Amino acid sequence: MADRLGVRRVGAAEPQVRSVTQVGTVFVLQIVATAAALLFGVDVVFLAYFPTFPRLADNFSSAYLERQMRQLAGAHPIVVLGDSVLWGYRVSAAEAAVTRLRSRDPRWVNLAYEGGSSANTYAMLRILGNAGVVPHAVVFNVNLKEFNGEDSAYDKLYPGVERLAWPLLSPAERAKLVPVAPQTFDSRLNAVVEAIWPFYAMRADEREALFSEQDAAHALQNKIEAWNGTAARKAEAHRPTPDKFEGTYDLSPLDEENTGVFFLRRAAQALRDAHVLAYAILTPTNHRLLHEYIDVPEYRAQLRFIRRLLSSYGVRVLDYDRAFSPGEFLDNDHLTPAGNARLAEMLGREVAP
Amino acid sequence: MDDRDVVVPGAVEVRTALRLDPLYRLAGSALTSPYVLGAVLALLAVAAIVFGPSTESRFIYTDF
Repeated sequence: MADRLGVRRVGAAEPQVRSVTQVGTVFVLQIVATAAALLFGVDVVFLAYFPTFPRLADNFSSAYLERQMRQLAGAHPIVVLGDSVLWGYRVSAAEAAVTRLRSRDPRWVNLAYEGGSSANTYAMLRILGNAGVVPHAVVFNVNLKEFNGEDSAYDKLYPGVERLAWPLLSPAERAKLVPVAPQTFDSRLNAVVEAIWPFYAMRADEREALFSEQDAAHALQNKIEAWNGTAARKAEAHRPTPDKFEGTYDLSPLDEENTGVFFLRRAAQALRDAHVLAYAILTPTNHRLLHEYIDVPEYRAQLRFIRRLLSSYGVRVLDYDRAFSPGEFLDNDHLTPAGNARLAEMLGREVAP
Repeated sequence: MDDRDVVVPGAVEVRTALRLDPLYRLAGSALTSPYVLGAVLALLAVAAIVFGPSTESRFIYTDF
Protein backbone atom coordinates (compact mmCIF):
# COMPACT_ATOMS: atom_id res chain seq x y z
CA MET A 1 0.00 0.00 0.00
CA ALA A 2 2.70 2.43 1.03
CA ASP A 3 4.79 1.38 -1.99
CA ARG A 4 1.89 1.95 -4.35
CA LEU A 5 1.47 5.45 -2.98
CA GLY A 6 5.18 6.04 -3.62
CA VAL A 7 5.96 6.44 0.01
CA ARG A 8 9.24 4.86 1.11
CA ARG A 9 9.32 3.31 4.55
CA VAL A 10 12.16 4.76 6.49
CA GLY A 11 14.73 2.09 7.34
CA ALA A 12 13.00 -0.70 5.40
CA ALA A 13 15.84 -1.23 2.97
CA GLU A 14 18.65 -0.52 5.41
CA PRO A 15 20.91 -3.54 6.02
CA GLN A 16 20.50 -5.28 9.38
CA VAL A 17 23.65 -4.66 11.40
CA ARG A 18 24.60 -7.22 14.08
CA SER A 19 26.99 -6.38 16.85
CA VAL A 20 30.35 -8.14 17.19
CA THR A 21 29.00 -9.91 20.31
CA GLN A 22 26.03 -11.31 18.42
CA VAL A 23 28.19 -12.52 15.55
CA GLY A 24 30.66 -14.08 17.99
CA THR A 25 27.92 -15.83 19.96
CA VAL A 26 26.38 -17.32 16.84
CA PHE A 27 29.83 -18.46 15.68
CA VAL A 28 30.63 -20.17 18.99
CA LEU A 29 27.17 -21.77 19.14
CA GLN A 30 27.67 -23.16 15.65
CA ILE A 31 31.02 -24.66 16.71
CA VAL A 32 29.55 -26.23 19.85
CA ALA A 33 26.48 -27.55 18.01
CA THR A 34 28.67 -29.12 15.32
CA ALA A 35 30.93 -30.74 17.92
CA ALA A 36 27.93 -31.99 19.93
CA ALA A 37 26.28 -33.47 16.83
CA LEU A 38 29.49 -35.26 15.82
CA LEU A 39 30.10 -36.59 19.34
CA PHE A 40 26.52 -37.86 19.46
CA GLY A 41 27.19 -39.66 16.17
CA VAL A 42 30.39 -41.15 17.62
CA ASP A 43 28.37 -42.38 20.62
CA VAL A 44 25.74 -44.06 18.44
CA VAL A 45 28.38 -45.87 16.35
CA PHE A 46 30.42 -46.71 19.45
CA LEU A 47 27.49 -48.26 21.33
CA ALA A 48 26.52 -50.29 18.26
CA TYR A 49 29.97 -51.66 17.47
CA PHE A 50 32.02 -51.72 20.68
CA PRO A 51 32.84 -55.40 21.30
CA THR A 52 31.86 -57.50 24.29
CA PHE A 53 35.07 -58.94 25.70
CA PRO A 54 35.44 -62.68 26.42
CA ARG A 55 36.13 -61.64 30.02
CA LEU A 56 35.90 -58.35 31.86
CA ALA A 57 38.71 -55.92 31.10
CA ASP A 58 41.46 -55.49 33.66
CA ASN A 59 40.02 -52.10 34.58
CA PHE A 60 36.39 -52.42 33.51
CA SER A 61 33.94 -49.59 34.08
CA SER A 62 30.50 -49.67 35.67
CA ALA A 63 29.11 -48.49 32.31
CA TYR A 64 30.57 -51.54 30.56
CA LEU A 65 29.14 -53.82 33.25
CA GLU A 66 25.71 -52.22 32.88
CA ARG A 67 25.89 -52.73 29.12
CA GLN A 68 26.78 -56.40 29.57
CA MET A 69 23.90 -56.80 32.03
CA ARG A 70 21.49 -55.44 29.40
CA GLN A 71 22.87 -57.96 26.91
CA LEU A 72 22.40 -60.83 29.39
CA ALA A 73 18.86 -59.92 30.45
CA GLY A 74 16.52 -62.38 28.77
CA ALA A 75 19.27 -64.93 28.14
CA HIS A 76 19.86 -67.75 30.62
CA PRO A 77 23.62 -67.69 30.91
CA ILE A 78 25.96 -69.82 32.97
CA VAL A 79 27.52 -67.00 34.94
CA VAL A 80 31.00 -67.37 36.39
CA LEU A 81 31.81 -65.11 39.34
CA GLY A 82 34.87 -64.90 41.50
CA ASP A 83 38.45 -63.76 41.48
CA SER A 84 41.53 -63.72 39.28
CA VAL A 85 41.77 -67.54 39.29
CA LEU A 86 38.59 -67.86 37.20
CA TRP A 87 39.24 -64.57 35.38
CA GLY A 88 42.50 -66.07 34.06
CA TYR A 89 45.32 -64.11 35.66
CA ARG A 90 48.50 -63.96 33.55
CA VAL A 91 47.03 -66.05 30.77
CA SER A 92 45.50 -64.62 27.61
CA ALA A 93 41.72 -64.30 27.38
CA ALA A 94 41.67 -67.18 24.87
CA GLU A 95 43.56 -69.44 27.28
CA ALA A 96 41.33 -68.76 30.29
CA ALA A 97 39.14 -71.68 31.37
CA VAL A 98 35.82 -69.87 30.90
CA THR A 99 36.73 -68.66 27.41
CA ARG A 100 37.48 -72.29 26.48
CA LEU A 101 34.09 -73.33 27.83
CA ARG A 102 32.41 -70.45 26.01
CA SER A 103 33.91 -71.53 22.70
CA ARG A 104 31.93 -74.77 23.05
CA ASP A 105 28.82 -73.37 24.73
CA PRO A 106 28.09 -69.61 24.37
CA ARG A 107 25.98 -69.64 27.52
CA TRP A 108 29.17 -69.40 29.61
CA VAL A 109 29.86 -65.80 30.66
CA ASN A 110 32.95 -64.78 32.61
CA LEU A 111 32.14 -62.05 35.15
CA ALA A 112 35.03 -62.90 37.47
CA TYR A 113 37.71 -60.25 37.95
CA GLU A 114 40.98 -59.51 39.68
CA GLY A 115 40.19 -58.48 43.21
CA GLY A 116 37.18 -60.75 43.62
CA SER A 117 36.01 -62.06 47.01
CA SER A 118 32.82 -63.28 48.69
CA ALA A 119 31.67 -59.66 49.10
CA ASN A 120 32.27 -59.02 45.40
CA THR A 121 30.48 -62.23 44.40
CA TYR A 122 27.44 -61.21 46.45
CA ALA A 123 27.50 -57.68 45.01
CA MET A 124 27.57 -59.09 41.47
CA LEU A 125 24.63 -61.33 42.27
CA ARG A 126 22.68 -58.27 43.39
CA ILE A 127 23.58 -56.43 40.19
CA LEU A 128 22.52 -59.43 38.08
CA GLY A 129 19.21 -59.65 39.95
CA ASN A 130 18.57 -55.94 39.63
CA ALA A 131 19.21 -56.12 35.86
CA GLY A 132 16.68 -58.95 35.50
CA VAL A 133 19.29 -61.54 34.53
CA VAL A 134 18.09 -65.04 35.39
CA PRO A 135 21.10 -67.37 35.07
CA HIS A 136 20.77 -71.03 34.17
CA ALA A 137 23.56 -71.59 36.70
CA VAL A 138 26.07 -69.60 38.73
CA VAL A 139 29.59 -70.89 39.25
CA PHE A 140 31.84 -69.07 41.71
CA ASN A 141 35.09 -69.76 43.47
CA VAL A 142 35.79 -69.49 47.17
CA ASN A 143 39.39 -68.61 47.92
CA LEU A 144 40.42 -68.97 51.54
CA LYS A 145 43.05 -66.24 51.28
CA GLU A 146 40.19 -63.73 50.79
CA PHE A 147 38.82 -64.52 54.28
CA ASN A 148 41.95 -62.89 55.66
CA GLY A 149 41.26 -59.35 56.91
CA GLU A 150 44.58 -58.29 55.35
CA ASP A 151 43.48 -59.27 51.85
CA SER A 152 42.83 -56.27 49.58
CA ALA A 153 39.39 -57.59 48.57
CA TYR A 154 38.25 -58.78 52.02
CA ASP A 155 35.89 -55.88 52.71
CA LYS A 156 36.14 -53.79 49.54
CA LEU A 157 34.24 -53.97 46.30
CA TYR A 158 35.80 -53.35 42.92
CA PRO A 159 35.02 -49.66 42.16
CA GLY A 160 32.82 -50.33 39.10
CA VAL A 161 30.88 -52.97 41.02
CA GLU A 162 30.58 -50.81 44.11
CA ARG A 163 29.01 -48.03 42.07
CA LEU A 164 26.22 -50.28 40.79
CA ALA A 165 25.78 -52.46 43.87
CA TRP A 166 25.98 -49.91 46.69
CA PRO A 167 22.36 -48.67 46.34
CA LEU A 168 21.18 -52.30 46.27
CA LEU A 169 22.85 -53.28 49.56
CA SER A 170 21.16 -53.16 52.93
CA PRO A 171 22.56 -50.90 55.69
CA ALA A 172 23.91 -53.99 57.49
CA GLU A 173 25.72 -55.10 54.34
CA ARG A 174 27.15 -51.64 53.71
CA ALA A 175 28.36 -51.46 57.29
CA LYS A 176 30.55 -54.51 56.64
CA LEU A 177 32.31 -52.80 53.72
CA VAL A 178 34.87 -50.05 53.32
CA PRO A 179 33.77 -47.85 50.39
CA VAL A 180 36.45 -47.24 47.78
CA ALA A 181 34.85 -44.59 45.55
CA PRO A 182 36.32 -41.16 46.32
CA GLN A 183 33.78 -38.55 47.43
CA THR A 184 35.41 -35.56 45.77
CA PHE A 185 34.08 -32.80 43.54
CA ASP A 186 36.09 -34.31 40.69
CA SER A 187 34.47 -37.74 41.08
CA ARG A 188 30.97 -36.21 41.25
CA LEU A 189 31.62 -34.21 38.11
CA ASN A 190 32.90 -37.36 36.40
CA ALA A 191 29.73 -39.19 37.41
CA VAL A 192 27.56 -36.45 35.88
CA VAL A 193 29.47 -36.51 32.57
CA GLU A 194 29.47 -40.32 32.53
CA ALA A 195 25.70 -40.39 33.02
CA ILE A 196 25.10 -38.44 29.81
CA TRP A 197 28.05 -39.55 27.68
CA PRO A 198 28.60 -43.32 27.24
CA PHE A 199 31.80 -42.89 25.21
CA TYR A 200 33.34 -41.07 28.17
CA ALA A 201 31.87 -43.49 30.73
CA MET A 202 33.53 -46.47 29.02
CA ARG A 203 36.91 -44.83 28.49
CA ALA A 204 38.75 -47.42 30.59
CA ASP A 205 37.35 -50.25 28.45
CA GLU A 206 38.15 -48.40 25.21
CA ARG A 207 41.76 -47.92 26.26
CA GLU A 208 42.12 -51.57 27.19
CA ALA A 209 40.58 -52.60 23.87
CA LEU A 210 43.00 -50.38 21.96
CA PHE A 211 46.21 -50.74 23.97
CA SER A 212 45.68 -53.92 26.05
CA GLU A 213 46.72 -51.74 28.97
CA GLN A 214 45.10 -49.19 31.25
CA ASP A 215 46.24 -46.33 28.98
CA ALA A 216 48.53 -45.44 26.08
CA ALA A 217 51.34 -44.31 28.39
CA HIS A 218 51.50 -47.70 30.14
CA ALA A 219 51.38 -49.50 26.79
CA LEU A 220 54.34 -47.44 25.60
CA GLN A 221 56.20 -48.04 28.85
CA ASN A 222 55.68 -51.82 28.46
CA LYS A 223 57.10 -51.71 24.92
CA ILE A 224 60.15 -49.82 26.16
CA GLU A 225 60.66 -52.18 29.11
CA ALA A 226 60.37 -55.21 26.85
CA TRP A 227 62.93 -53.66 24.50
CA ASN A 228 65.51 -52.68 27.14
CA GLY A 229 65.18 -55.85 29.24
CA THR A 230 63.52 -54.27 32.28
CA ALA A 231 60.42 -56.46 31.83
CA ALA A 232 62.51 -59.65 31.95
CA ARG A 233 64.32 -58.44 35.08
CA LYS A 234 61.00 -57.57 36.77
CA ALA A 235 59.56 -61.01 35.89
CA GLU A 236 62.64 -62.70 37.35
CA ALA A 237 62.29 -60.72 40.60
CA HIS A 238 58.56 -61.56 40.74
CA ARG A 239 59.02 -65.34 40.85
CA PRO A 240 56.83 -66.93 43.52
CA THR A 241 58.74 -68.35 46.45
CA PRO A 242 57.17 -69.60 49.70
CA ASP A 243 58.39 -66.63 51.77
CA LYS A 244 56.32 -64.25 49.64
CA PHE A 245 53.11 -65.88 50.90
CA GLU A 246 53.73 -65.52 54.60
CA GLY A 247 50.60 -63.91 56.04
CA THR A 248 48.50 -64.56 52.92
CA TYR A 249 46.23 -66.95 54.81
CA ASP A 250 44.71 -66.27 58.21
CA LEU A 251 43.94 -69.67 59.64
CA SER A 252 41.99 -68.51 62.69
CA PRO A 253 38.66 -70.36 62.95
CA LEU A 254 36.03 -68.81 60.66
CA ASP A 255 32.86 -67.44 62.18
CA GLU A 256 30.00 -65.06 61.36
CA GLU A 257 32.10 -62.04 62.35
CA ASN A 258 34.31 -62.65 59.34
CA THR A 259 33.20 -60.39 56.48
CA GLY A 260 33.97 -63.10 53.95
CA VAL A 261 31.74 -65.58 55.78
CA PHE A 262 29.00 -62.94 56.13
CA PHE A 263 28.86 -62.32 52.38
CA LEU A 264 29.35 -65.97 51.44
CA ARG A 265 26.24 -66.81 53.46
CA ARG A 266 24.34 -63.94 51.81
CA ALA A 267 25.40 -65.14 48.36
CA ALA A 268 24.36 -68.74 49.05
CA GLN A 269 21.05 -67.52 50.46
CA ALA A 270 20.39 -65.29 47.44
CA LEU A 271 21.08 -68.17 45.04
CA ARG A 272 18.78 -70.51 46.96
CA ASP A 273 16.01 -67.89 47.08
CA ALA A 274 16.32 -67.31 43.33
CA HIS A 275 16.21 -71.10 42.66
CA VAL A 276 19.40 -70.88 40.62
CA LEU A 277 21.68 -73.89 40.18
CA ALA A 278 24.78 -72.93 42.13
CA TYR A 279 28.29 -74.40 42.09
CA ALA A 280 31.08 -73.27 44.40
CA ILE A 281 34.66 -74.13 43.54
CA LEU A 282 37.07 -74.52 46.43
CA THR A 283 39.94 -72.74 44.70
CA PRO A 284 42.80 -74.85 43.33
CA THR A 285 45.78 -74.25 45.59
CA ASN A 286 49.46 -74.98 45.14
CA HIS A 287 50.13 -77.09 48.22
CA ARG A 288 53.76 -77.70 47.33
CA LEU A 289 54.50 -73.96 47.31
CA LEU A 290 52.38 -73.17 50.38
CA HIS A 291 53.07 -76.41 52.27
CA GLU A 292 54.47 -74.82 55.43
CA TYR A 293 51.50 -72.45 55.78
CA ILE A 294 48.44 -74.44 54.78
CA ASP A 295 49.11 -78.14 55.24
CA VAL A 296 47.83 -77.87 58.79
CA PRO A 297 44.57 -78.91 60.51
CA GLU A 298 43.39 -75.26 60.74
CA TYR A 299 43.35 -74.92 56.97
CA ARG A 300 41.36 -78.14 56.58
CA ALA A 301 38.95 -76.92 59.28
CA GLN A 302 38.33 -73.73 57.28
CA LEU A 303 37.58 -75.77 54.16
CA ARG A 304 35.15 -77.94 56.14
CA PHE A 305 33.42 -74.82 57.50
CA ILE A 306 32.98 -73.38 54.01
CA ARG A 307 31.80 -76.69 52.57
CA ARG A 308 29.24 -77.12 55.34
CA LEU A 309 27.95 -73.55 55.02
CA LEU A 310 27.48 -73.80 51.27
CA SER A 311 25.92 -77.27 51.35
CA SER A 312 23.33 -76.09 53.88
CA TYR A 313 21.97 -73.73 51.19
CA GLY A 314 22.00 -76.34 48.45
CA VAL A 315 25.13 -75.01 46.74
CA ARG A 316 27.07 -77.83 45.10
CA VAL A 317 30.69 -77.72 46.21
CA LEU A 318 33.42 -78.64 43.72
CA ASP A 319 36.48 -79.30 45.84
CA TYR A 320 39.44 -78.45 43.58
CA ASP A 321 41.74 -77.50 46.47
CA ARG A 322 44.13 -80.37 45.71
CA ALA A 323 42.94 -81.22 42.23
CA PHE A 324 45.90 -79.66 40.36
CA SER A 325 49.56 -80.60 40.30
CA PRO A 326 52.28 -78.02 41.16
CA GLY A 327 53.25 -77.81 37.48
CA GLU A 328 49.81 -76.49 36.62
CA PHE A 329 50.26 -73.36 38.78
CA LEU A 330 51.91 -70.04 37.99
CA ASP A 331 52.06 -69.20 41.70
CA ASN A 332 49.96 -70.00 44.77
CA ASP A 333 46.58 -70.33 43.03
CA HIS A 334 46.70 -69.01 39.46
CA LEU A 335 46.76 -71.69 36.79
CA THR A 336 48.95 -72.04 33.71
CA PRO A 337 47.30 -72.29 30.27
CA ALA A 338 47.43 -76.11 30.66
CA GLY A 339 45.89 -75.79 34.13
CA ASN A 340 43.14 -73.59 32.73
CA ALA A 341 42.47 -76.15 30.00
CA ARG A 342 42.03 -78.89 32.59
CA LEU A 343 39.85 -76.64 34.76
CA ALA A 344 37.64 -76.05 31.72
CA GLU A 345 37.29 -79.80 31.16
CA MET A 346 36.39 -80.40 34.80
CA LEU A 347 33.85 -77.57 34.93
CA GLY A 348 32.33 -78.57 31.62
CA ARG A 349 31.75 -82.11 32.92
CA GLU A 350 30.26 -80.92 36.23
CA VAL A 351 28.14 -77.94 35.21
CA ALA A 352 27.04 -78.30 31.60
CA PRO A 353 27.78 -81.83 30.42
CA MET B 1 35.42 9.91 -0.68
CA ASP B 2 34.83 13.58 -0.33
CA ASP B 3 36.83 16.57 -1.32
CA ARG B 4 38.81 16.60 1.95
CA ASP B 5 40.44 13.19 1.22
CA VAL B 6 44.01 13.22 -0.02
CA VAL B 7 44.72 10.78 -2.81
CA VAL B 8 48.26 9.37 -2.77
CA PRO B 9 49.28 7.63 -5.97
CA GLY B 10 50.08 3.89 -5.44
CA ALA B 11 48.28 3.68 -2.09
CA VAL B 12 45.65 0.99 -1.44
CA GLU B 13 42.52 1.18 0.62
CA VAL B 14 42.59 -0.28 4.12
CA ARG B 15 39.92 -2.80 3.07
CA THR B 16 42.10 -4.03 0.23
CA ALA B 17 45.19 -4.17 2.42
CA LEU B 18 43.39 -6.32 4.97
CA ARG B 19 42.28 -8.76 2.30
CA LEU B 20 45.90 -9.26 1.28
CA ASP B 21 46.95 -10.10 4.84
CA PRO B 22 47.47 -13.90 5.37
CA LEU B 23 45.71 -13.88 8.74
CA TYR B 24 42.73 -12.09 7.30
CA ARG B 25 42.58 -14.58 4.47
CA LEU B 26 42.76 -17.51 6.92
CA ALA B 27 39.99 -16.03 9.03
CA GLY B 28 37.83 -15.71 5.97
CA SER B 29 38.59 -19.16 4.53
CA ALA B 30 36.52 -22.34 4.78
CA LEU B 31 39.05 -23.75 7.28
CA THR B 32 37.71 -21.44 9.94
CA SER B 33 34.08 -22.08 9.29
CA PRO B 34 32.28 -23.02 12.52
CA TYR B 35 31.59 -26.49 11.11
CA VAL B 36 35.27 -27.27 10.57
CA LEU B 37 36.17 -25.85 13.98
CA GLY B 38 33.37 -27.91 15.55
CA ALA B 39 34.73 -31.06 13.91
CA VAL B 40 38.23 -30.26 15.20
CA LEU B 41 36.81 -29.74 18.71
CA ALA B 42 35.01 -33.12 18.59
CA LEU B 43 38.18 -34.82 17.34
CA LEU B 44 40.22 -33.29 20.16
CA ALA B 45 37.66 -34.46 22.74
CA VAL B 46 37.73 -38.04 21.42
CA ALA B 47 41.54 -38.07 21.23
CA ALA B 48 41.83 -36.72 24.79
CA ILE B 49 39.58 -39.52 26.06
CA VAL B 50 41.29 -42.31 24.12
CA PHE B 51 44.90 -41.23 24.64
CA GLY B 52 44.47 -39.59 28.04
CA PRO B 53 45.99 -41.03 31.21
CA SER B 54 43.98 -43.45 33.30
CA THR B 55 42.96 -41.49 36.37
CA GLU B 56 39.88 -43.50 37.29
CA SER B 57 39.66 -45.10 40.69
CA ARG B 58 41.10 -48.56 40.15
CA PHE B 59 41.12 -51.49 42.49
CA ILE B 60 44.77 -52.23 43.07
CA TYR B 61 45.15 -55.96 42.80
CA THR B 62 48.30 -57.42 44.28
CA ASP B 63 49.10 -61.07 43.78
CA PHE B 64 52.04 -61.41 46.18
